[in-house]
Amino acid sequence: MWARLAELPLLVVLLAVVGALAFIPAIHGLAVGDYAVARDFFYSALILLIVTGMLGLATVAFAPRDPAQSQLASLVGAYLALPFALVLPWWQALPDTSFVNAWFEMTSSFTTTGATVYAPDRLSETLHLWRAISGWYGGFLILLAAYAILAPLSLGGFEVASGRVPGRRSASSTQSQRMAEPAQRLGRWAVRLLPVYAGLTLVLWIGLMIAGERATTALIHSMGTLSTSGISGQSALAGAASGFPGEALVFVFFIFALSRRVFPVPGIAAAPGGIMADPELRLALQILGLVLITLFFRHWFVGGGVEDADNASEALASLWGVLFTAASFLTTTGYVSADWQTAAEWSGIGTPGMILLGLAILGGGIATTAGGVKLLRIFALLRHGGRELERIIHPSSVGGGGNDGRRLIQEGAQLAWVFFMLFAISIAVLVGLLTLLGVSFEPALVLAIAALTTTGQLAELGSADPILYGDLSAQAKLALGLAMILGRVETLALLVFLLPARRRR
Amino acid sequence: MKVIICGAGQVGWQIARHLAGEKNDVTLVDVNPELVRRATDTLDVQGVVGFASYPDVLEKAGARDADMLIAATHSDEVNMVTCQVAQVAFNITRKIARIRAPNYLGALYGDLMNNDRLAIDVVISPEREVAEAALQRLAAPATFDTESFMGGRAQLLGIQLDEDCPVLNTPLRQLNELFSTLRAIVVGVRRDGRLFAPDPGDQLLAEDQIYVFSHFEDVTRAIEIFGKKTKKQERIVIVGGGNVGLAVARALEARSTRVHTKIIEKDRAVAEAAADALERTIVLHGDGMDTDLLMEAAIDRADAILAVTDDDKTNLLVAVRAKQAGCQMTIALVNDPTLAPLIAPLDIDAYINPRATTVSSILRHIRHGRVRAVYSIGDAEAEMIEAQVLSTSPLSGRLVRDIEFPAGVLVGAVMKAERVLKPTGDLRIETGDVIALFTMSSDVPEVERLLQVSIDFF
Repeated sequence: MWARLAELPLLVVLLAVVGALAFIPAIHGLAVGDYAVARDFFYSALILLIVTGMLGLATVAFAPRDPAQSQLASLVGAYLALPFALVLPWWQALPDTSFVNAWFEMTSSFTTTGATVYAPDRLSETLHLWRAISGWYGGFLILLAAYAILAPLSLGGFEVASGRVPGRRSASSTQSQRMAEPAQRLGRWAVRLLPVYAGLTLVLWIGLMIAGERATTALIHSMGTLSTSGISGQSALAGAASGFPGEALVFVFFIFALSRRVFPVPGIAAAPGGIMADPELRLALQILGLVLITLFFRHWFVGGGVEDADNASEALASLWGVLFTAASFLTTTGYVSADWQTAAEWSGIGTPGMILLGLAILGGGIATTAGGVKLLRIFALLRHGGRELERIIHPSSVGGGGNDGRRLIQEGAQLAWVFFMLFAISIAVLVGLLTLLGVSFEPALVLAIAALTTTGQLAELGSADPILYGDLSAQAKLALGLAMILGRVETLALLVFLLPARRRR
Repeated sequence: MKVIICGAGQVGWQIARHLAGEKNDVTLVDVNPELVRRATDTLDVQGVVGFASYPDVLEKAGARDADMLIAATHSDEVNMVTCQVAQVAFNITRKIARIRAPNYLGALYGDLMNNDRLAIDVVISPEREVAEAALQRLAAPATFDTESFMGGRAQLLGIQLDEDCPVLNTPLRQLNELFSTLRAIVVGVRRDGRLFAPDPGDQLLAEDQIYVFSHFEDVTRAIEIFGKKTKKQERIVIVGGGNVGLAVARALEARSTRVHTKIIEKDRAVAEAAADALERTIVLHGDGMDTDLLMEAAIDRADAILAVTDDDKTNLLVAVRAKQAGCQMTIALVNDPTLAPLIAPLDIDAYINPRATTVSSILRHIRHGRVRAVYSIGDAEAEMIEAQVLSTSPLSGRLVRDIEFPAGVLVGAVMKAERVLKPTGDLRIETGDVIALFTMSSDVPEVERLLQVSIDFF
């Protein structure tokens, strides 16, 4: 049966999973006594499963000309099409909302952006759970896609490590050896990744419950952390019952969005020299150190040093506030520590949100659920810069680090630069578009970065005054939703998908 | 003793010459009939033409009753297989192989070398020996030759005396009284190309090359007394990033004091391999003869340059060019012994002869028994022998002044229970002491008789 399932188009399988997932809120609604919503989800699940069943029958003989390219198409298609499936129960359970709002909400959840147009208490816990599940599913999809679809095509950050032209498979796999059937690869990676991804979510869920959180809120936060969507239920993480232990737990799990090496999955090459030698993790630590200096230690250099009794505890609180929030935005999750406000005042820098914008652009590790430019690309650019400086001193010097190291700072850095520029251009174009649609410049910039880095919570913290997604026009929401998809699939992957087909004609 | 030497290259040839000179039954095996013919013509050896690892060739060479096999062909693999065949087919008890590739060496120095796996008793790595020699030269910049003895507690220094040496034209006996606390002794003097063991009444002259055997703590003082300055070396340029250059750079990186090392290598792939293997060392890609590149390596401010490419002439010219550019000290790797006389006119401070270092280390293993180290000086003109005194030795229990050493023999030092002592006439040599002797080649048999060790070690 699994073999038959693998023959179906990816999009159909993904749609079926949405149907299956919709049973969870249905059960939840039943358990909390929200029968109307439970019924909506149950019927939606049935409808989705029936529709996908028919689609499956219709497409069972589907044989794409280029399976790898077709899967890339499915991935892009999934982010475009699946929000409409996700909207189905939402639209029924929340009849007084506009369709654009519902679509925006689901797209934002599914792309792990986590931006919401609704006030937290307008939605029931069951609906919040659906948001979290959508985000969790979207996170898993991008994780799976990174290994099964993007890595063989040298995309999604792997182009930096491999130095190959994005979209092209390695020569050996096309010529001398038969490439693993893309569908098989997808199945194999799904079987490898799902237990780890789900298991980690479960561990965090249980951990948060032990820390004193309610079950539903704990699950939402657990899913929000692992998928880096940063989705919260009616109560935000900052005001959660689990308090500091809960934040500390979530902080520990941020590491899974910083480096793929941390994932205990067979088949992911362990970093030589242990986890601490992993360049992405080291870079993340250095970045966090830098943020600490600007936001926390700055207090003593510039802040004048307020000598009062609360200073020590306030210092500790702001240290934690800076550390947690910085890590949260570096992984593009978007949870905010309860101590962030203390930290913001402590630093005396005025608008520390600007730093969070920068962190979100840097992003987490490649082949994780995090968005942004990604640490490996930043690392490649930094190494390249360092090497160029070295070459100014010794023009004929030879760089070390092995073949991989040299590839990283030559072809890798070039590709990283290409990506970085595409990212910058995307921001510029999106800001232009938003200002055309009536958003003023500063909010437009924050919103653009929030959408492209899939860190929706930036709208709240990125500028001096919080920006509400609900106040935006429908067109602006549409633009932002599409930008989220662009940020999630990465511009490079989208270009690889779009360009050859169009240009060759 | 019957010895088979496989490979009549420089190393094989030299060892054959050494061993044949000591009245051993030597058979040389090589694929090149011309080389074998020349060897049988000039040396007192037998020759067999053929592929060294073939059992029938080894049998023809007399492997059935051979006591030792030295595999020194160009190929590591042939050397290893030859030792294996010698073990399995002929049960030769002692097998020495020259292995070059560092990849083998890592494993061989581990436990691959064990007799029951790869049948090699002793692995000689020329590159490793040369790298060590290079490091020793660097450590004692004012000397042209160094070798450590007695587990590193004593050193043999070769010093070129200049006009401004303060101890010229003074009898050695008087010097000894003058610097009575200095634990060093002049064991050999080369004057006008002739090496001899000096008498106490002899004087040192300018342009002499002397060999001093010194306690390691007194090395600096000894060098200063002979009019040289020791200077800390912080900037070192290595030309040639092959096995030797890489090994030297690695050792320099491992030092606790920071040494700024730069490697210049012509071959891109070799340069990249060197850059990968090294952390702090800067690897430059280009021709070592290129002045611009040498300036990029800051040759004018370098304390030493080490020219260790595989081409002798390049090494010499690089050394000369570096000296001209202002490098303090130049060391060149010279394979061809006929180029050695050019060293002095070219103003190169020191040279390393891989052949000599390899031959020395092979000899050390041949003279098993109680001989702990042998260092061949000059063109096999003399040897520094370090040996333990056996109870059967005529030396045991006698005062140094009472022992009738041949004219070409001098005692360098005596080590009693880990303490290195300067030999004086009334020092009594006891069983178990370690004694270091400078010996002219012609006196080696007599010294061996004194030490009661023959080349037979069974």
